[in-house]
Amino acid sequence: MINNNLTLTIINLLINLIDVLLVLLPVLLSVAFMTIIERKQLAAHQRRVGPNTTGYYGILQPFADALKLILKETVIPSQSNKVLFYLAPISTLIFSLLGWGIIPFGEGLTLSDFSLGILYTLALSSLGVYGILFAGWSANSKYAFLGSLRSTAAMISYELILSSAILIVILLTGSFNFTTIIESQQAVWFVVPLLPVFIFYFISILAETSRTPFDLQEAESELVAGFFTEHSSIIFVFFFLAEYSSIVLFSCITAILFFGGYNAPELFINESVINLQSIILGLKTCIFCFLFVWFRATLPRLRYDQLIEFCWLNLLPVAVAFIILVPSILVAFDIAPY
Amino acid sequence: MNTLLMLFIFVPILSVILLALNLLLAPKKADEAKVSAYECGFNAIPGQTRSTFHIHFYIVAMLFLVFDLEILLLFPIAVTLYQVSTYGFSIALIFFIVLTIGFVLEIGSGAISMSTPGNN
Repeated sequence: MINNNLTLTIINLLINLIDVLLVLLPVLLSVAFMTIIERKQLAAHQRRVGPNTTGYYGILQPFADALKLILKETVIPSQSNKVLFYLAPISTLIFSLLGWGIIPFGEGLTLSDFSLGILYTLALSSLGVYGILFAGWSANSKYAFLGSLRSTAAMISYELILSSAILIVILLTGSFNFTTIIESQQAVWFVVPLLPVFIFYFISILAETSRTPFDLQEAESELVAGFFTEHSSIIFVFFFLAEYSSIVLFSCITAILFFGGYNAPELFINESVINLQSIILGLKTCIFCFLFVWFRATLPRLRYDQLIEFCWLNLLPVAVAFIILVPSILVAFDIAPY
Repeated sequence: MNTLLMLFIFVPILSVILLALNLLLAPKKADEAKVSAYECGFNAIPGQTRSTFHIHFYIVAMLFLVFDLEILLLFPIAVTLYQVSTYGFSIALIFFIVLTIGFVLEIGSGAISMSTPGNN
């Protein structure tokens, strides 16, 4: 009896582990390839060829980069707080990768069909700010400290806009569950009624992942490298992986919240062995990753005070206006979702 | 033990594995110039690294706190709008308008600006 129970528990654990690996390994691969996509695409925008020596068309470049960075020496400044110095990038990577636990690749096909999925995502993006704060503080260097303060202020300001946009999408859905959000877009994708919301949502996502035009920490002439000035080799890899994982994750969430997720017209009944719906989600995610890099190639950078003023004086009133408008319409015409 | 818990256990293990790989495989030759703080050639003065910073960052954090909590408190009505209908929505609207008055005050008083209007 006890032996039977133990076997079942171990089999359960193994299946859970296989599930996790089945999501995380492709995610890590996609993060690695996102770096080479960015370099090749930036090169294409600038009419040159990106990395093309390692492997065919430079495909093996991210693995060469990872190998180099693992084999490099990690220089820890003598005056830094050693524990926080290691803990900050690890926590940033952890919170970035944990966000993949609730993304649905089919109807209910997630690592965890959490009924509060949206709150989980918002909580993780808020916790990610801690890693940046501790990284700059622990490095005990003037420039890293100032860089982390500015990055933190920018990230938390745009998190308000992100929460507002997500709140408005939830108003149209009536549930926090990601699968329910996708299923309630079968009539029309949410980008059609909520196009202005999509616009300021996308702006806030650019700022959350510290991408151009909000990448003041990568403006090397300003603060060297911002909060990760003192971090080298594997520590830097953690920040790098976390940033690109956030880019891919937020692209995926954009596709889920506004563009119908894994549903496509004429394809919503999946009767084949291949999970066509996850391919649809992957295609939509790729389109938004492309958009991220396109923004980086095209737009100049905002100065820090312009960035903060843009959020608090220009975007937040629009978000507040939509928060008042959308439920008013829903209540007035009695079309609230149930 | 469900899958989400396994994810919570696996991801830290993954990052620790990467860290251990680096500790094993990388050289460790620390000399005086490498482990000093980076200040574009200058020597860092130990007392000035975490000195005072602009009050603006503190103000942004405080305002973020208030407005983030306001938006979070609106999440329950987002999922139960059908049940509470007009009455519940009007209560939420009164709550939101009171906080919007504060927001108007914040914009009008110029709390979010790094430089005072007299400077430049």
